[in-house]
Amino acid sequence: MSTLIEPTVRTTDVDRERAELERTWANSGGLFGWLSATTHQTIGMRYIVTAFLFLLAGGVEALLMRLQLARPDSTLLSADKYNQIFTVHGSTMMFLFAVPVMEGMGVYLVPLMLGTRNVAFPRLNAFGYWMYVIGGLFLYWGLFTNTGPDVGWFAYTPLSGPQFSPGKRVDVWAQMITFTEISAMCVAAELAATILKMRAPRMTLNRIPLFCWGMLVQSFMVLFAMPAVMVASNIFLLTDRTIGTHFANPAEGGDPLLYQHVFWFFGHPEVYIIFIPALGMISSIIDTNTRRTIFGYPAMVLSVVATAFIGFGLWVHHMFATGLPQIGEAYFTAASMMIGITSGVQIFCWLATMWTGRIRWTASMHFVAGFFAIFVAGGLTGIMLAAIPLDLQVHDTFFVVAHFHYVLIGGALFPLFGGFHHWFPKFTGRMIDERLGKITFWLLFIGFNLTFFPMHILGLKGMTRRIYTYRSEMGWDHANALATVGAFVILCGGILFIMNALTSRKNGAIAGANPWDSGTFEWAADSPPRHYNFVLPPVCTSRYPLWTPPKERIGVTGLRTTRREVLVTSLMDAEPHHRYPLPHSSIWPFVTAVLATIGLLGSVFQFQWYYIGCALATVGLVGWFWPRGQRELEP
Amino acid sequence: MMPQRTIDVSHLRTYEISSEAPLWWGQVCLAFVEGTMFCILIAMYFYIRLSMDMWPPRGIQIPEEVLPAVCVLLLLASCVGSYLASEAAKKDDRGGMIRGLVLNLVLASAGIICRAINWHGWNFSWRSTAYGSITWGILFLHTLDVVADLVFTTVLVIMLVLGYHSPRQRLGVHVDSIVWYFLVAIWIPLYVTVFWGPHIVGAP
Repeated sequence: MSTLIEPTVRTTDVDRERAELERTWANSGGLFGWLSATTHQTIGMRYIVTAFLFLLAGGVEALLMRLQLARPDSTLLSADKYNQIFTVHGSTMMFLFAVPVMEGMGVYLVPLMLGTRNVAFPRLNAFGYWMYVIGGLFLYWGLFTNTGPDVGWFAYTPLSGPQFSPGKRVDVWAQMITFTEISAMCVAAELAATILKMRAPRMTLNRIPLFCWGMLVQSFMVLFAMPAVMVASNIFLLTDRTIGTHFANPAEGGDPLLYQHVFWFFGHPEVYIIFIPALGMISSIIDTNTRRTIFGYPAMVLSVVATAFIGFGLWVHHMFATGLPQIGEAYFTAASMMIGITSGVQIFCWLATMWTGRIRWTASMHFVAGFFAIFVAGGLTGIMLAAIPLDLQVHDTFFVVAHFHYVLIGGALFPLFGGFHHWFPKFTGRMIDERLGKITFWLLFIGFNLTFFPMHILGLKGMTRRIYTYRSEMGWDHANALATVGAFVILCGGILFIMNALTSRKNGAIAGANPWDSGTFEWAADSPPRHYNFVLPPVCTSRYPLWTPPKERIGVTGLRTTRREVLVTSLMDAEPHHRYPLPHSSIWPFVTAVLATIGLLGSVFQFQWYYIGCALATVGLVGWFWPRGQRELEP
Repeated sequence: MMPQRTIDVSHLRTYEISSEAPLWWGQVCLAFVEGTMFCILIAMYFYIRLSMDMWPPRGIQIPEEVLPAVCVLLLLASCVGSYLASEAAKKDDRGGMIRGLVLNLVLASAGIICRAINWHGWNFSWRSTAYGSITWGILFLHTLDVVADLVFTTVLVIMLVLGYHSPRQRLGVHVDSIVWYFLVAIWIPLYVTVFWGPHIVGAP
């Protein structure tokens, strides 16, 4: 069926098509309609906004910790509260902010960049979002009822086992993992299928925008990494704690170290799951603002793919202090240093792009520059930590805290903020205030370095992680006070960012479809995009299709406008293959999420609730795909 | 109205019951998830083996051979039903789909019954040392997947019997066969691990 279709010049009644598409793609109103929405812009924006709210919550927790540590012998927080707060801070940032916000950006932008109208499985998309929200609320319900997990964001056994953590705190953490991982897997599966099968005609593999490459690679990493954390949280923690299995009980042949292996088999790729979409955002910002194509596109793609592979072979470097055989540790040192090569290739490609382009210093470019400075510094401490002798010295100290905040905030948060400023006109239809954006950047950049640079020194001076207070004679006072001041500078940056986003959304200059003169398809859609994205979905004529002259651009006609139809193309060359009517909006994803929740929450208390949850979710799923309506079935 | 260069795709067919369908790829992605989980469980099995002297530990019987082998054969045979159903789906042969799926259901259910009888005779539970935990863990998770698939296969059969056999349901039948092949294929290494493991790596 995959025959080349030659373009012809014809006149299409665009207004009529537009009117029909508006009717077909409209979400119905009211609460029911709100809960039933399945369009990717709606769900993507919900992911982004929800994730930013969790970022705010995680930020407040960070401030509380900094206040507690600002001076020695502080009694602001009790040891127990402090434990809960750092655990919820870490879990929020990893599971409720970083991964979901990247998924949200992907859900919003990928179909637009690919020139299609929605993700491949719109209802699964909605379901994933609801699971994520419920999981996040569950964790905070725990925190506010003094059932907040208090064993660190990785919940090591035996501390998290039934013997040392009675009560339900660890179970809340473990089940929150289930919710958020289900959500991440839903998005991963739907984005992978979308990128592989629903690209614009002729968007061959070497024309896919780098952000979409990043999301594709990230999706596969999610699919291979997330099951490990489900095994860790559900099998090691929940069943050991509720039905008396012995996976982590050394007295009965289990092994706490095995938990660490399984957890870090997920935990290390997790860093790249967060980081790789951010790399894609950087590429989008750089090519637009240097007004040239990315230098070394094949090298960029190959290094992202290589990063993903190597990322699965590094997990033991989190476990150097556990007394594993040295020959094994040496391998993981080598692998950990090797990943510096793939990251380095990308950094040099971007530098070459900027070197040879005409840079426009927008707020988003400021954030990219900040990324270079901070991430490279984090990468250098990463190389240091990959060396076993040094790692053994600073293991579990603030040096490690400094390192991973440099990598994660520098590598993911700065590009994300850059991306947010870059795509804000697309999201809202209005320009974000550039001047305030740049001030935001400087506040965040200075505040960040004030907060986290002193932590290197604290770590070298022996201040361990997760202590809730310290004595003055340790000599840690000044660096800690400085870090707390920095945290408040970050807070100012955060407040300015929120204000800027809210006011620009109302009063910013009208953006138009392509305010930055970018080259990829998301800028061909209206700002903000209509639910169907494009009246005539575009054909991809080059790697930067919007930089080809308008006369040479090609549109797709012949998709039915009276139902939510998309074009499926072939895997490699993206030749049109068949038309595919997507399912309409539905309340069932929400209902299924609620029904599954009943079982998952019950299972925190009694294992049997899993069965009830399965039965209820089955009812939801049958409702979900029960056939209704003839419209979808006409040829 | 403006003249524009366009390609017309109206002549292309809607739906495709093959690996070209996005749903097929989504299903493969979910198989990656499940497959990774089971691979981790296999790794855990041998890791736990390393930290125990006796495998299985003293007082726990060595798994018997006959019933589990029969179960494997039944599961393998049930793939024929899935295959027939998915081929019938491509040809829009409603009767063929129903016959194939029912064959799949009958053989697979017989396999699960074998499993249940087999378990009934065991003298250990998931609380009996880490050996019991990992053995039951593997069996429970795989059985949960199999039963879930059988439930949804039953729903598909009901839909077909009620006369719903549009391309959407036929694609469902096809994709259901993919899941089933995966569940049976992954059972082979799991079966070898759980039932031959104690014989191969079980010396005291």
